[in-house]
Amino acid sequence: MRRTILYLLAGLVLGGIIHIAVILILPQFASRDIWNRVMAMDALEDMVVLAPIAPGEDNPMQLDPALVYGLCRLSLAEAPGLVNGTMPFGFWSVAVYNNQGHVIYSTTNRSGSGRAIDMGIFNQAQTRLLAEQRIEIGDGLMIVEADSDDIFVAMRAAPPHEAMRAGFVEALDAIRCLNIR
Amino acid sequence: MLLILRLLGMFAVALAVGFGLSSYALTDGRLLGAARSGPWAAWPEVGEIDPDPYTRAYLSRTGILQLGLAEGVRFVASEDSAGAPLDAACRYRIYGQTPAAAFWTLEATDLAGRNIAASPDLSYLHSERIARGPGGVADIAVAADLAPGNWLEIAPEGGPFQLVLTLYDVVLFSGTGAGTLEMPTILGGDCA
Repeated sequence: MRRTILYLLAGLVLGGIIHIAVILILPQFASRDIWNRVMAMDALEDMVVLAPIAPGEDNPMQLDPALVYGLCRLSLAEAPGLVNGTMPFGFWSVAVYNNQGHVIYSTTNRSGSGRAIDMGIFNQAQTRLLAEQRIEIGDGLMIVEADSDDIFVAMRAAPPHEAMRAGFVEALDAIRCLNIR
Repeated sequence: MLLILRLLGMFAVALAVGFGLSSYALTDGRLLGAARSGPWAAWPEVGEIDPDPYTRAYLSRTGILQLGLAEGVRFVASEDSAGAPLDAACRYRIYGQTPAAAFWTLEATDLAGRNIAASPDLSYLHSERIARGPGGVADIAVAADLAPGNWLEIAPEGGPFQLVLTLYDVVLFSGTGAGTLEMPTILGGDCA
């Protein structure tokens, strides 16, 4: 009996090791993470406005039905990225994600930039060149340093009323998202 | 023979504990990773550049488009404040203060994240479009049947569901202590 209990205790310890291994290994083998979802969209250097979330429809990215979303993917391998344009009135936010799907930068309209967004995204080598003033940028450009060459940008905007959603979709669709060449 | 049975038992325990614990922990961060206030749970590190291993695993498993740290926090409740699982056949009352935020939204979804509102014209509630009680408290009914005041009408099919309360432009987990985690209670009522 005592030996059986020892085997079960060993099973518990082994279970703990399996649990830790699963938690640590899972991100390496994920095929449905947000990066893969964005890769599946035609969003390279193009702001794609996502369809609204209707009741009963699948919502794999767990989007808020109250908001309008724009997604854009950029590769910084050859050149820095630029996101600029005029956001609609009301709440908006922007987040930059790396290729692991982690947020490397986020801000909202309450940071003081009003409706205008003018953001440059640089990889580490480009940031170094920027510091050495070997890349020229415009005044007032918000600088974001990315830890990977492959990134994507998510823009969120909250229409004050559903009747204004179409205007918000147009505004997000008009945001420029491209490499600076 | 006894040795084989013991080994089989050991491996059965190991697999059940290893995978069961992982699934349980990643469902809503019940073991590690989540911040809780009553029935509400959120992943505080989900919007950070270098989240903890549990949060990383949660993000990889779910594939959600998480909010950045500066953007807001998403709370999910799958039980009422008494600990009973939410059932769409029942009436619920959400009552109390929410943390200070630019605004918040409330929606009801099934456990897979599909919105279960009865009408596409009112699939969520917005903090700026509800009537407030004394002291600015939110008082919201979530039910398939008509309710007075603020009413989030859900589809009458019944079954388990969850409430998602997303706070935008809120300071909760930044370590400054500027925000307090005071969430509304979810009171269960009659069931059909």
